[in-house]
Amino acid sequence: MAHDVNTKTAVKNAYRITKVRGKTALRIRIPGGCLHAKHFDLLKHLAEVYGDGLVHLTTRQGLEISGLDYAGIPEINRLIMPLLQDLEIGIGVEIHDPAKGYPSAGTRNIAACIGSRVCPFANYDTTSLAQRIEKEIYPNDYHVKVALTGCPNDCIKARMNDFGIVGMVEPQYDYQRCIGCEACVKNCASQVTGALSMHKGKVKRDKRRCIGCGECILKCPTAAWTRNPAKFYDILIMGRTGKKNPRIAEEFIQWADEDVVVQVIKNTYKFIDEHIDKSLPKEHIGYIVDRTGYPVFRDKVLEGVKLNSGARVAKHVQWGGCRYSSDVFLSD
Amino acid sequence: MGWKFTEAAFKDLIVKLKADYTILGPKRFVGQGRFSDTDLIRYDEIESLDEIVWNEKSTFSPKEVVFPITQTLFYFIEEKFLEPKLDENKILIFLRPCDINGIRRLDTIHLRNGPQSDSYYAQLRERVRFVMMECMEGFDTCFCVSMKSNITSDYDMAVRFGDDEVLAEVKNDDFTRYFSLDLPRVEFTPGFVQENTIKVTVPDGGEISAGIYNHDMWNEYKSRCIACGRCNTTCITCSCHTTTDIFYDDNMRAGERRRTWACCHVDGFTDMAGGISFRKDNGSRMRFKVLHKIYDYNKRFGEHMCVGCGRCDDNCPEYISYSSCINRLSQVIQETDACVKIP
Amino acid sequence: MRENPMMPKPHKVIKIDLETDLESTFRIEVDTPPALGQFYMVSIPRIGEMPISISGIGPGWVDMTIRNVGKVSRAVHSLNEKSILFLRGPYGNGFPMDEFKGRHLVIAAGGSGIAPVRPLLEHYYRNPDEVDKLDLLFGFKTPDDILFRQDIDRWKSRFDTILTVDDACGIWEGECVGLITEYVKNIKLSEYDKMEIVIVGPPVMIKFTAAEFIRQGVSEERIVVSMERRMSCGLGKCGHCKISEYYICLDGPVFRYNEAVKLVD
Repeated sequence: MAHDVNTKTAVKNAYRITKVRGKTALRIRIPGGCLHAKHFDLLKHLAEVYGDGLVHLTTRQGLEISGLDYAGIPEINRLIMPLLQDLEIGIGVEIHDPAKGYPSAGTRNIAACIGSRVCPFANYDTTSLAQRIEKEIYPNDYHVKVALTGCPNDCIKARMNDFGIVGMVEPQYDYQRCIGCEACVKNCASQVTGALSMHKGKVKRDKRRCIGCGECILKCPTAAWTRNPAKFYDILIMGRTGKKNPRIAEEFIQWADEDVVVQVIKNTYKFIDEHIDKSLPKEHIGYIVDRTGYPVFRDKVLEGVKLNSGARVAKHVQWGGCRYSSDVFLSD
Repeated sequence: MGWKFTEAAFKDLIVKLKADYTILGPKRFVGQGRFSDTDLIRYDEIESLDEIVWNEKSTFSPKEVVFPITQTLFYFIEEKFLEPKLDENKILIFLRPCDINGIRRLDTIHLRNGPQSDSYYAQLRERVRFVMMECMEGFDTCFCVSMKSNITSDYDMAVRFGDDEVLAEVKNDDFTRYFSLDLPRVEFTPGFVQENTIKVTVPDGGEISAGIYNHDMWNEYKSRCIACGRCNTTCITCSCHTTTDIFYDDNMRAGERRRTWACCHVDGFTDMAGGISFRKDNGSRMRFKVLHKIYDYNKRFGEHMCVGCGRCDDNCPEYISYSSCINRLSQVIQETDACVKIP
Repeated sequence: MRENPMMPKPHKVIKIDLETDLESTFRIEVDTPPALGQFYMVSIPRIGEMPISISGIGPGWVDMTIRNVGKVSRAVHSLNEKSILFLRGPYGNGFPMDEFKGRHLVIAAGGSGIAPVRPLLEHYYRNPDEVDKLDLLFGFKTPDDILFRQDIDRWKSRFDTILTVDDACGIWEGECVGLITEYVKNIKLSEYDKMEIVIVGPPVMIKFTAAEFIRQGVSEERIVVSMERRMSCGLGKCGHCKISEYYICLDGPVFRYNEAVKLVD
């Protein structure tokens, strides 16, 4: 059977070109990775009636329903309207014609760890922030990956993303409440960065070593350590996987507030607009920054951003990562 | 007989009392709880009625008002000792019956254990007056009724908070200076919770045999307890402390001696110079604490130390339930007949 | 002004005698003599405070033998004669001297446990007729650890004395080598109601030495021990020294062994 499929349109509509001729797979976005159980009925129906009965959990916390016919795309798009309604339009994303399915697929699903709704370590509600960022950057064709993680444990592997947003908490110390039990100090030394030390029966915190993980607050039996209720974030940039130069993201702004996080990510699209190599079918944001250099990126994305007091912007960023060209086996 | 305050009238009373009293109550610290997006409720100075969180249990007890977590005993300057200046302001605490009964235990240790009373505690304690917040229901981890500490008459004023009114019994005539005596009189004496969901059976009246100290039941806590000390710090009756001397960073000739709360569950509590220490495993620390709360304190002072506020059960990060442990202990005693009745 | 029992008072150091590499005896001026077996809270302001038992009593002074093993004791060891040391106390109950009268007394001390019984020995050295008989049993880890050598020599002349070391280290010229418990049976005990045994030393030594005396037929009621625990106040407030319903600082440090065995740490 002859197929006449516009692959560019299909891909932009969130349908993958698969190895099985004539069959496609739909990628459903789940911003923040949190899905209401009520949608399982529809997902089951789609997979069993239109697909091969399988649902794949994607690496970015989406769902991929495989074995679909290209010809069925318009009908499937109409069927998935409740998903778009709830997961996108419902959180404020503008989709002009929800009956036509996903309007773009370049900017990937925003992944997030389970966050403070469940996890005791998380320093913020990752799902809510994922939804707020989704609203600001989706739909968009530019290839940008954002992941949110509640604390520096980085369970979501935010460091493998273009933007990794790590929750930080500013620990506040009330020395009168401290009984010198050393629980925070011992834990920081063995589990974190050793930012705390005992000094004459009380605790000293080295601000430059503290990564704002909040473990001291969790360990404290007297609430001598408490949370500054204001939320802070560590913005890590330009980590990536890939064949050319996989690498982990590095610190861009520490102790940023939520508005700074959102504005910086939003401004990144303006930076891409200005600097992307338009001769290529697509160009990944990390490689654009490689070409322009960090200062050009920094100055553009900070344009108009009102940095909160306490936010610290990196003077230099040096990415490492692997380069297969230097692989030892190539010398043979 | 009591008085019926409108909300506005009671607010006004608090404003007037504040002229002569430092008023403390359970207060909400928004977003400052242990976990993100949770609140901390602990005792602190309150500015108005709205700040008193009367319908939730505070994480920390009012113990810290009468027995500060850190207290300077005296300053050293060269060879001179200087006691901290005495604060003379009267203190009014809003608290529940269990906590009032708990403070009596603190009084016992600080004022009546041994021939000399603790002057620091005494001078602070005698400035304190109680406003008892009526507690008719308790909370899901309370067992004050089992510990017979659900009832007290030791208060200057008792209050029942309503939706837009406060009923008050005023026992201290001094307080009547602070509100209009034209307020409506009502029949009001506070009620007390008569039954908790959690009930504990305390091994009462007998001598516990050595077999109980070495019983297997404590072994479980060797690995379950992480020796964090939360059961001690949140307890209204734990009164242990450690003194520490320090000198100031920029001047060795000046310094201070201070005392801070100490916890029998936390490492180092029994450490002596030279390396000897006791109760190295956390199971024996659990045994030591439990028996103190519901056995040996009673032998010495004639009432149990534990008042059943349940804060230890609320706050143990490892979900160790002290109340369950007491019941288990009683069961073990019954099964092994290890508790010999004193004739 | 209310009396503050936490407030230490300055006392003059009269004399310092080196005992071993680690231990020195500090003679300190005091107005009123303490009871035998009591202790003081000793402090160096800005460094800290610690409980120290009395190792000697004389007119206007007490001795305290202090082992240099902690922050405060290290600071005490840096003092000179004429320095000022700060004391609170004396605290605790002391030995039941009246109950020892006319009895056959055995005093067993392990290591630095000899310090708190030294005033007792000096008392009986001066008043040997106060007891029916006095046997001494001392144990130290090595010959270098032996405290009060000259005193021991003097006491030997008046009382039957066994001095043993756990490890002779090739330099020990004494007769006995081995743990103190091994020599309990060498003491000829009197009838039940004439005996009184005093045992002072580390917790393990107390436990096994008492067990040995009990094996020799002595009852728990006839054994007296002195216990050491961590203390912060000496006043029954800090809770560190509480065991079962007793506070070592108030009800001890001296206990009859039939009570002491019931105290589980």
